[in-house]
Amino acid sequence: MNLMNLMERVQGVFRDVFNDASIEITEETTALDIEEWDSLTHVQLIIALENEFNLKFAIKEIIELNNVGDIISLLETKL
Amino acid sequence: MNGTELLSLAAKFSKIEHLYLKEYQGNIITKKIAVLSSFTTHHLVRVLNLFLYKEDIKAEIYEGGYDGITSEILNTTSNLYEFRPDILIILTHHLDIKDLPAIFSSTEEVNAWLQGKLNYYNNLWKLAMEMEHCQILQTSVVIPLYRQLGNLEANYLFSATNCLHLLNLELIRHRPPNVIFIDMDYIAAAFGKEKWFDDAGYFLSKQGFSLNAAGSVAHTIARMSAAISGKTKKCLVVDLDNTLWGGIIGDDGIEGINLNPNDPLGEAFLAFQRHLILLKERGIILSVCSKNNETIAKQPFVEHPDMRLRLNDFACFIANWEDKATNLKRAAQRLNIGLDSMVFFDDNPAEREIVRRFVPEVEVIEVPEDPALYVRALEKSAAFEWTQLSKEDITRSLSYVTDEKRKELQSQSIDYNSYLKSLEMTAEIGFTSPSELQRFTQLINKSNQFNLRTIRYTEASLEKLRLNKDEWSLFYVSLSDKFSHYGIISAVILQKIKGITFINTWVMSCRVLNRGVEILALNNICAIARAWKSEWLIGEYLPTKKNALVSTLLPDLGFETFETEGVHPSIPEARLFRLKPEIIPDSAHFINIK
Repeated sequence: MNLMNLMERVQGVFRDVFNDASIEITEETTALDIEEWDSLTHVQLIIALENEFNLKFAIKEIIELNNVGDIISLLETKL
Repeated sequence: MNGTELLSLAAKFSKIEHLYLKEYQGNIITKKIAVLSSFTTHHLVRVLNLFLYKEDIKAEIYEGGYDGITSEILNTTSNLYEFRPDILIILTHHLDIKDLPAIFSSTEEVNAWLQGKLNYYNNLWKLAMEMEHCQILQTSVVIPLYRQLGNLEANYLFSATNCLHLLNLELIRHRPPNVIFIDMDYIAAAFGKEKWFDDAGYFLSKQGFSLNAAGSVAHTIARMSAAISGKTKKCLVVDLDNTLWGGIIGDDGIEGINLNPNDPLGEAFLAFQRHLILLKERGIILSVCSKNNETIAKQPFVEHPDMRLRLNDFACFIANWEDKATNLKRAAQRLNIGLDSMVFFDDNPAEREIVRRFVPEVEVIEVPEDPALYVRALEKSAAFEWTQLSKEDITRSLSYVTDEKRKELQSQSIDYNSYLKSLEMTAEIGFTSPSELQRFTQLINKSNQFNLRTIRYTEASLEKLRLNKDEWSLFYVSLSDKFSHYGIISAVILQKIKGITFINTWVMSCRVLNRGVEILALNNICAIARAWKSEWLIGEYLPTKKNALVSTLLPDLGFETFETEGVHPSIPEARLFRLKPEIIPDSAHFINIK
């Protein structure tokens, strides 16, 4: 899967989880940029990503996710 | 749907919730629901909200604090008691239990441990009774996936697996009426425990179970909440061709349809029939609705050697060429039940679509193509979730069949009174005692049509009223005739307020409508009002979508209307009626009193 494609799918997940069709993410997007990105929606986001890409994240991987760029590069190593 | 999809749907719905409420406000009831657990319930609650809407319940939800089960229930001044839930959901978790018996504990030690746990829950349940009308839904403990002793757990009573099983059983053995268990261990097993337990989710954010299981849990809780609110399904309406047997009886004939016990497909249809018989035995009314020639449609039930279902298993058999929406309405009328208590099972997607569109009150099962999966589809739908079983429900399917005989008698009788006489009815009227309380409660909560005020009660709160004999009087009427014994079919709650007797609740099963039972009940109501030396007997009609049947009951029985202004400003259609209890209604009835 190329990077553009991956970014698009992750963006779809973000829009779904935060229920906002106008969200535009970049690799630098962090929880500070999205108002509803708190500890509860973070769990939701992780599970949504796991469901979308049909994989499981390890705890260590989840804790170390700080921005969208981290998510993308983690997905790249796992796909 | 997985948890992500459900949460996304819940979020989308929350944006249009106010519009939805506006559009359907007439159908929707509000319930206060408290959720207590030792793990995070945030996601479950959002999904639950969605599933409750599916049952036409708008939930006002209170989420207890972290690890709130003990602290919020034990402290009767906590926010929980202030909130006063209608339904209190207690979500247990095996990690709540921190003192499991040690290895090599004796049977006595295991029993002592069990007794301790039982005392703990008994205390919680008793305290929760402080909140009047509150029904507790408590989950069974899900037996964990990880075992200290591996397979050996199965071989020692003291193992965690067995102790948790014993705990679940012990609580059932002592279940008080204000508690209904949700079989979470079943839900988890059906979901698959390897997926149910989400270890990372627990360590990261104290998820008690995988977010993806939230739908299964919410589905059951919502169904049970609906049942508590009096929304239960009573009747399963099935199609015939390719539903009860393989093939089409009109084309293939009695020899051609597949019910062959030695053929896998035939076996699947027979297994479905066997399941329907089990449902009938638990009190579900079975009906047929088929596009067929009636004589031909009935043939297999009489002549086919392998058929398990017989004609007398069905309370209503409709086979003609009219559309199924019309026929379902006809069946509801014949059985005297609401369309919303019917479940429709038909292999033909086009018929299902017609029913969904034209009689949306009827629940339509999404029937899979493979008949091997029919029973599973029915089970998964959780269509028949009730709060309790009753002997009355179970004998009912039988008495529906004798209804046909009764109708025959009616057509032979010259006039209605002589028909009533020929039924040889006997009634018993009695003050409600503990042995009738369960059925009494069930009748009040299930009756929608003959129900003057549609006030619902829990068994525990009725027990309180029952004991307060100075201010309350609860009585029942049971009836039998020469064809069947109906059991308790009417329930009345009277309240003594200063110089008046107020009819707080008056319900009756529609199956005995126009038989004189209401006159009998009124005579008894008047007798109690006189014993209380009340100047007036006051009755009230609170209209709902379903109780138009009794809108003129009181005036028809001789009550007079009087000014109601300001009594129920929110329900302008409410009407108050009064009657001097010394006036003994002179309408005749033909019921012998035991």
